[in-house]
Amino acid sequence: MDKPSTRETLTSYLFFLPFLVIFLVFLVFPIFYSLYLSFHEVRDLSNVFGNLAPCGLSNYKKIISDTGFWWGVFMTLYYALLTIPTGIIISLILAILLNQKIRGISIYRAAFFMPFVLDAFVVAIVWTFIYSAPYGIVPNILSKIKENWGTVNFLALPATAMPAVALVMVLKNAGFGMVLFLAGLQNIPPSLYEAAEIDGATGIRKHLYVTIPMLKPIILFLVITGIIGGFSAFAEFYGMTGGGPTITLFGKTLGATKVTGIYLFRAFESLKLGYAASISFVLLIITLFFSYIGSRILGKVRY
Amino acid sequence: MKKILVYTLLTLFAIFSLFPFFWMLITSLKPFGEGLSLRIIPKTITIENYKIILTQYNFFRYFLNSLIVALSSAFISTSFAFLGGYAFAKRQFMGKRVLFFVLISAMMIPGMVYLVPQFAIVNLLGWMNTYAAMVVPHLANIFGLFLLAQYITTLPNSLIESARIDGANEIRILTNIILPLSLPVVITVFLLNFQFHWNNFLWQLIVTTKEKMYTVPVGLAMFRSAHEELYTLKMAASAISLMPISILFVFAQKFFISGITQGAIKG
Repeated sequence: MDKPSTRETLTSYLFFLPFLVIFLVFLVFPIFYSLYLSFHEVRDLSNVFGNLAPCGLSNYKKIISDTGFWWGVFMTLYYALLTIPTGIIISLILAILLNQKIRGISIYRAAFFMPFVLDAFVVAIVWTFIYSAPYGIVPNILSKIKENWGTVNFLALPATAMPAVALVMVLKNAGFGMVLFLAGLQNIPPSLYEAAEIDGATGIRKHLYVTIPMLKPIILFLVITGIIGGFSAFAEFYGMTGGGPTITLFGKTLGATKVTGIYLFRAFESLKLGYAASISFVLLIITLFFSYIGSRILGKVRY
Repeated sequence: MKKILVYTLLTLFAIFSLFPFFWMLITSLKPFGEGLSLRIIPKTITIENYKIILTQYNFFRYFLNSLIVALSSAFISTSFAFLGGYAFAKRQFMGKRVLFFVLISAMMIPGMVYLVPQFAIVNLLGWMNTYAAMVVPHLANIFGLFLLAQYITTLPNSLIESARIDGANEIRILTNIILPLSLPVVITVFLLNFQFHWNNFLWQLIVTTKEKMYTVPVGLAMFRSAHEELYTLKMAASAISLMPISILFVFAQKFFISGITQGAIKG
């Protein structure tokens, strides 16, 4: 192809101009500004950005020994572990069920997908009401099984708070994985299943040897977006637990659901902006690291 | 027999995933004192909660704010993505590959990373408590740009060339040829942008401190911390917050689903 002329390049950038201005000012510059902020601390609480004191590497040094932060990373990974595999399994099952010759596919598909497009914070508020004890639906159903379960609020117990939030988000996002898997399933040539049948594979084994390997790119995509989403998770926790309930471990008070998103928000809220900026950088690196690990592990799995 | 099992499983899951929203609606329609009753069908149905939350608690104002923010953002960011997408698809220019690489990398950055620096910029610009603060920082939608670029690439070049020979300038080509042909994708990007901004809770929470600038979810967050026990009102406010996207989704689910699927599979 010919090298584009300067004139053509200039007019092309004219088309890009509105997009690029916003992109540079609000998506590229912030990364560098954040880096700058992370080497500073707020000196004056009434003028937070106008009066910053350089503090060298001290914010980063503080992160290394910050139990709350690493606890947040740990809890985020726990959250990712609870949501990503179950989410993938449920959406794959739904997609396989929907990929049969049945009626009403579009209605089911819409029903499963709709929660995905709704605001996580508001969904969290609705679920808080459903979980709340003793009035919510969940404790009331449980009290039919065992009477004293009627006072149990899963969001308020350290051991169950995280799984309770994870359940809500798996239900909310299952439709997303499902439509991806459904599209993927429809792209698998039927001849592959026929070949597997000739080789003697039936039922579940057909899916194990044909479906899952063919859907590997989608699984990988869901794992990586799941990890990125986990380290950005905020609204669901803000709505349901606020990071609590508190637990005490090794003499430290920690939040049972205080994931990195909540931890960063609290640092921001208390106007430790330099520290919050350095947290976001460490989070960026951690996210990229785990996305990379995730893709490497999945890339190596053989069927 | 096998079909019955499939239907049963699908229906069970559908009930499970939609029940919370059904319960929200039912609770929001119960009279004030009955918010905690477990009746599936309330004895009396009332829209009193909606009246109270919209007028006395100012959610009408919050709803307008949400609508202004989401509509203007969706309109502007779709236009920007359309212009950029066209340039990507149909024009040659220096630095195209670099730009492509930079945009793809930027998509990998979790949104939380932007919280502090974007807030700082909005602050320095003096935009706190304005619509600009809620709208402008999120107008560069990379996902939408690629979705449009992908589609516009498939349109035949001959159409553009023959229009050029007929003397049409670039703007005419865009509005009279590219836009009508890529309208379904433009609508998809518009809807996804609208949805993103309607749900952009965290950002709206941190850039609004004045009550009259609250959007619906921010208003709901404030209402919740002040009135923990007013369940029927809380559910009415939640319903108001979820309604626009639910309605859009019911009428335009094809656009939502195809947009989100295509973006994920190709990207």
